[in-house]
Amino acid sequence: MPADIDKTELINRAKSGDADAFEALVNAYYEVMFKMAYKWCGNRRDAEDITQEACIKLARGINSYGCSAKFTSWLYVLVINTAKDWYKSQNRYPEGAGLLENIVANSDNSDEKLYTYQVLKEVNKLPDMEKESLILVMGQGLSHKEVADLYGVKESTISWRIHEARKKLNAIFSKEERYGK
Amino acid sequence: MENNDKLLKILSEDYAPEIDINARKRAVNLAVSEFKSARTEINKEKNQKTFQGFGFISRLIGINTRKGEKIMKDNKKSKFIYGGAATAIAVVFVGALSISQLDDTVSRHKQNISATIPTPDLKSDLEVSPAHVRVVEPQNKSDASVKFDDGLSDWKRSDSESSKEIISNLSSKTVEKEHQESGVTSASSIIAESDDVSGLLKQAPSYKDNGANAPLDNWTRLKAASKAPKMQEEHAPMPSVAQKFKSENKAIGKTFHGAAPNRTAQHNMAAPYPMPPIAHEQNRDKFEQFTVNMFKQVSAEPVSTFSSDVDTASYSFIRKALNSGRLPNPDAVRVEEMINYFDYNYPVPKSRAEPFKPTVVVTDSPWAQGRKLMHIGIKGYQLAKTELRSNIVFLLDVSGSMNAADKLPLVKSSMKMLLDSLHPDDMVSIVVYAGSTGVVLEPTKVSNRSTILDAMNNLHAGGGTAGAAGIRLAYDMAERNFDKHAVNRIIMATDGDFNVGITNHEELKRYVEKKRNKGIFLSVLGFGQGNYNDHMMQSLAQNGNGIAAYIDNLNEARKVLVQEATSSLFPIAKDVKFQVEFNPDAVAEYRLIGYETRSLKREDFNNDKIDAGDIGAGHTVTAIYEFVPVGSKAVSVDPLRYGKVKPMVNKGKSVNEYAYLKIRYKLPMENTSKLISMPVSKNIEYGGDMSDIRFAIAVAAFGQILKGSQYIGDFSYDDVIALAQQGKGSDPYGYRAEFINMVRLAKTLSR
Repeated sequence: MPADIDKTELINRAKSGDADAFEALVNAYYEVMFKMAYKWCGNRRDAEDITQEACIKLARGINSYGCSAKFTSWLYVLVINTAKDWYKSQNRYPEGAGLLENIVANSDNSDEKLYTYQVLKEVNKLPDMEKESLILVMGQGLSHKEVADLYGVKESTISWRIHEARKKLNAIFSKEERYGK
Repeated sequence: MENNDKLLKILSEDYAPEIDINARKRAVNLAVSEFKSARTEINKEKNQKTFQGFGFISRLIGINTRKGEKIMKDNKKSKFIYGGAATAIAVVFVGALSISQLDDTVSRHKQNISATIPTPDLKSDLEVSPAHVRVVEPQNKSDASVKFDDGLSDWKRSDSESSKEIISNLSSKTVEKEHQESGVTSASSIIAESDDVSGLLKQAPSYKDNGANAPLDNWTRLKAASKAPKMQEEHAPMPSVAQKFKSENKAIGKTFHGAAPNRTAQHNMAAPYPMPPIAHEQNRDKFEQFTVNMFKQVSAEPVSTFSSDVDTASYSFIRKALNSGRLPNPDAVRVEEMINYFDYNYPVPKSRAEPFKPTVVVTDSPWAQGRKLMHIGIKGYQLAKTELRSNIVFLLDVSGSMNAADKLPLVKSSMKMLLDSLHPDDMVSIVVYAGSTGVVLEPTKVSNRSTILDAMNNLHAGGGTAGAAGIRLAYDMAERNFDKHAVNRIIMATDGDFNVGITNHEELKRYVEKKRNKGIFLSVLGFGQGNYNDHMMQSLAQNGNGIAAYIDNLNEARKVLVQEATSSLFPIAKDVKFQVEFNPDAVAEYRLIGYETRSLKREDFNNDKIDAGDIGAGHTVTAIYEFVPVGSKAVSVDPLRYGKVKPMVNKGKSVNEYAYLKIRYKLPMENTSKLISMPVSKNIEYGGDMSDIRFAIAVAAFGQILKGSQYIGDFSYDDVIALAQQGKGSDPYGYRAEFINMVRLAKTLSR
């Protein structure tokens, strides 16, 4: 990941039409985008397709990036929107089951694996708006304000969505403590 | 609060795998070329404006031709560069994409096309006069530019020059480039098509009416044609495409009457994605039908014989049905499989030579006064993990029907879980079957984990199903690697369909049986719903000395493959048969709860040629008889007036016994059976934990309610819950709690 100054410079050069700068930019941010896509859909194949789409969208959309938000945050939203469109166009939903591909490989404790898996599965079931707010705020550490600005809504709307999402998840997991320890 | 912290931790953690360098390269290349073409577009817009300024008249007068030439030259140059770049990318693209991915892109384009074409315009244009088709061209082109947004941007040359060039290329049959264009071809050839359409319309005036659809659907056809490698042949001779086009036009004219919804429907059908859930709703799950065991009179039929059963598929299937909000098909309910789903703490024998010992408990029947329950349980000897070796061949169904979240991805996760529970020196190989059968992973040691995981991750679903061919290949692999000190087993994962190849069940069964005698066993894991062939799986697993389990979620995968790995994989006794002889002096009537599909003839018990169920290390098998003691008011049939006089011999001894239990089994490597027998006396005592017994009875009751059994009386779901609560015990993995939840669910659903 290039340092902040490099990034801004790259972005500006790309915006003015420098293809090399754009290439460097996409190369640098591919991983960020892929991780976001993976978080959204939970399996490699879809995530790769979505990231690719998002990169292409970026080629045309980079000019619309005004510098008010962080570039990464702006990218998150780009990826999420791409993912939503992508699934819509395919008439299906994120599978989520693939999440375990890596959870299984990464963690040692199988109970924890299962719990994590169950939680992510439930997160996947949330309405898109709640899911994206939750992922951006809790997953990527953005503030409510930042997310609100990105989506052009009020801060309270985002807080409400997060609250709703948490409420739903809590309801499920306090009932099903057996999944956890 | 604690939950939120956990949530935060889970969400912020990164589960994403390492990025694939090739995927990144691909994406970056595509994005960069998109970026460049977006730029040139902006530039060209500028150019075109200036060009237009000089227009027709100025050209006639001959002023400023130099400037025009210069612009043309520039355009040509840039065209050449982009053409080269695009060719290179297209080569990478075609090479790197798997065919299925290509399908994805193609159909995505298909959808976009249907969305972007302004149909009404096209229609009216076409209706006015065939010559007007040409007028449509610019429109098509601008649409094409929208389409290109989706990844093949490098081909975007929306200036009229280049598209005309393409047209002339195509029509003059200079199609060398065709095969490189892959998905793009059809997009560009549509422009050529419009030429053809005009020609065709002239030839056949009747097409005018349906002309609006013709180009659209020929897109689809052409797309379809360009999907496969076939594309090259199909595209090369242009006339033949036109020919095809002509004949298809006729058909299309008939089926499509300009109705847009129809067309979208067609697109959906052509798309290679799994059908939307609605299509799955028509239930194609297959279950063997059987009637529930009836009460039998001891005086008429004193002996009951059945084979052991350690399968659990029925239970998981019921759970899946309940969780998706409906009561299970009564044919899917096999009470014994529900009971045997749970692990009970019966006393265990001390050595492997005596693989198990029976536990018998007699209690009052909770659902009928005056009746009693005889609970027979055995638990297999538990092997220590270190003495176990296995040679496993995974036989995986990767047919198109497996392409669902609860199928192939779950198979992969389950296999990974199983890997964890294997010994590093164990051998694993993977064979897939679909349209063609193939070895995905040659026999590999479990310690070589990354190779195995790579092979698994590369599995994709697609194609028809030819199960029989796959089974042969899997047995070949297992034989090649046969280890007589290990358990050689094929684990087959499928959603149960065997569309192609040998569909003759009997032939397949005989094949599996023959291989079993050579020491290679077969277990079947069922996945998914809607297409599930329970009967086939059961019979294959029974003939292959293996288990049939239905995996509906990861919890279940863990239970079957990790927690019970030893019992699922390592048989300690085979052909285990039960025979119970009831004492007519003490018992008037009896019935066996469940085991309908496992009943044997009385003479089969002593016949070692007759196959029966197997028991793995640590497996428990439970059977419950309900019986009516002599003298109870619950007797359903009056005694015969002319019945035989009861034998009075040994009265003192026999009156104290309800029945005599016999169990026959063979050790895994032997072919003659051994016998265990014990009397069931009236005052038999059980030193173990009664909660296990209660729980098993609760499960039996639940199964009978789901099955609609006539013998369960008005025993309700609530009674089941109460009984199960009493029998819940320590329940370390939560399976019993889950059962109680299922009963609650069933109660709600049955209202």
